[in-house]
Amino acid sequence: MADSLLKVDNLVKYFPIKKGVFRRTVGWIKAVDDVSFEVYEGETLGLVGESGCGKTTTALTILRLEEPTKGQVIFDGRDVVKMKKADLRKERKNMQIIFQDPYSSLDPRMKIKDIIAEGILTHNLLKVRERYKRVGELLEKVGIPAENMDSFPHEFSGGQRQRIGIARALALEPKIIMCDEAVSALDVSIRSQIINLLKDLQKEFNLTYLFIAHDLSVIKYISDRVVVMYLGKIVEIADKKELFTNTMHPYTQALISAVPVPNPDYKKERIILKGDVPSPANPPTGCRFHPRCSKVMKICSEIEPKLTEAKEGHFCACHLYNEK
Amino acid sequence: MIINNKEPLLEVIDLKTYFFTEEGVVKAVDGVDFEVYQGETLGIVGESGCGKSVTAFSIMRLLDYPGKTVGGKIVFKGYNLLEKSDDEMRKVRGKDIAMIFQEPMTALNPVLTVGFQISEALMMHFKIGKKEAINKSVELLKKVEIPMPEERANEYPHQLSGGMRQRAMIAMAMSCDPVLLIADEPTTALDVTIQAQILDLMRTLLREFNGSLIMITHDLGVIAEIADRIAIMYAGKIVEYANKRTIFYSPLHPYTFGLLTSIPRLDLEMKRLNVIPGVVPNPLHFPEGCKFNPRCSFVTDRCKEEEPQLIEVEEGHLVRCWNIDKVAQEVKKGLLVGV
Repeated sequence: MADSLLKVDNLVKYFPIKKGVFRRTVGWIKAVDDVSFEVYEGETLGLVGESGCGKTTTALTILRLEEPTKGQVIFDGRDVVKMKKADLRKERKNMQIIFQDPYSSLDPRMKIKDIIAEGILTHNLLKVRERYKRVGELLEKVGIPAENMDSFPHEFSGGQRQRIGIARALALEPKIIMCDEAVSALDVSIRSQIINLLKDLQKEFNLTYLFIAHDLSVIKYISDRVVVMYLGKIVEIADKKELFTNTMHPYTQALISAVPVPNPDYKKERIILKGDVPSPANPPTGCRFHPRCSKVMKICSEIEPKLTEAKEGHFCACHLYNEK
Repeated sequence: MIINNKEPLLEVIDLKTYFFTEEGVVKAVDGVDFEVYQGETLGIVGESGCGKSVTAFSIMRLLDYPGKTVGGKIVFKGYNLLEKSDDEMRKVRGKDIAMIFQEPMTALNPVLTVGFQISEALMMHFKIGKKEAINKSVELLKKVEIPMPEERANEYPHQLSGGMRQRAMIAMAMSCDPVLLIADEPTTALDVTIQAQILDLMRTLLREFNGSLIMITHDLGVIAEIADRIAIMYAGKIVEYANKRTIFYSPLHPYTFGLLTSIPRLDLEMKRLNVIPGVVPNPLHFPEGCKFNPRCSFVTDRCKEEEPQLIEVEEGHLVRCWNIDKVAQEVKKGLLVGV
């Protein structure tokens, strides 16, 4: 197996809940709670879960766009969490992100050439003329004619803006790109264009992706391995094929069964989960999934199951598989 | 569901709804025909801006300036809804035809309790007292499986979760036993496990009241589950119209074919996604001829000059395309379902 490029160890991110005149902290939102995983060089790791499960916060804390509460993030052999500001800035060159909303993630008052060149400027990589030449190349690479580089973001459609976001992420030749719901806001016909583009770019530049999405069909298509999160915890990690054929965790099973499949003859048993996702401010005791789980046992509400390797490369946090 | 030859419940004939904006006339819905029979679910599928929501709003006559229905007929139970006065229309809306909106947070009034909002329609349409109406709304909340309905009825929309709000919307829509329900992307804003709950609930309720449903969505997966017949819309027009199996197994319009082959799916291993190149055209400057021609891989010279009509190619299967033979050949190569 390839070397791990990014290793996340016991990552924790709590957000304070402040109340009253003195803004006293009255509780904590446990957005990401003790999460560990590795991303190997050149792979696409899919991170899937429903809204509020902490998948975006995980990406933001890895980049230290949010300061982690605890834990380690080893990128290329060095701990990102302990880095000083100046070092972190240098390291960010290698870690880029593409955001979900192509409308709010581009500054409306900047020309797209300046949006894309901003990183090159910050890191003082190229002189002005070369810089814009590079921008032109990047734009062509993502399928936008280079002569449009003097336009503003509002002149582009949603799909094109997402392409600009991708060009911006590519500008610094990063090693890893976090795609935070990068295709979720797009229409069906545009989505497949962007997915194919991301795949092509990965091959060409040997990129590593941490691909965050809530859509399991997209995750299945693009990922090599998949991490499933629920309420700030990882419940299952496995190879894509293994995860979809030999699903272990009851939550993952329910999640997969809930996806509507565009095939009128596709028969499957649907597991309908009861109730809503509980609040991460006050998660259930024991296993966080136990109030909605169909296979709940007595132990589930008492002891939190650990993420253990049930099969080679297949990790699952569930008491069903932890006992001998 | 069996569709017999009886009269349709709703018949939309040559519906035209335009938006008169400062930049020009946007033909959001431009000559749409379809019908809905008792007890069936018609799915309207398309991408953003194709006119599927505007179609729904036109049926309900909920459009405001600058939008205006400029032509066509909407025949419901023998009457043309477009000819009804505002007062008469109010009696239809919510009573005979009800609607579920995409975003329950913006569709519900934030300063009124959920129970009150449901009872409003009940009091108006059934001329019953407030107390009775509130009791009935609690019953409805129970029916849509909201836990602790008595307490929930006194709560405000922001106190409910997204899935719960959508349940409340459904309760509201079902409150006056409508015969036709129009659901505009009812599950798009929800998480997939909650979406499964809502779809399950809608199916149960539909079976129970034997009503008809117009399901508007961009999600072909949802459509495959719930619809009996499907209309595919593109740029304000229906481009293909057939029963579900025909659409999924033997589509004849290049756009339908493109959509079906460009989605990643759980039931198949896919090598590379098909791509529909380009973007949806600007509604102010639709292309000449067939509106799909700049993005179509089957395009010929004729497509650029002459717009095809929606033609019945076999019973119950209507297609708007000049090149259906070519598409049929491509479909035969087996890029579709189950291959």
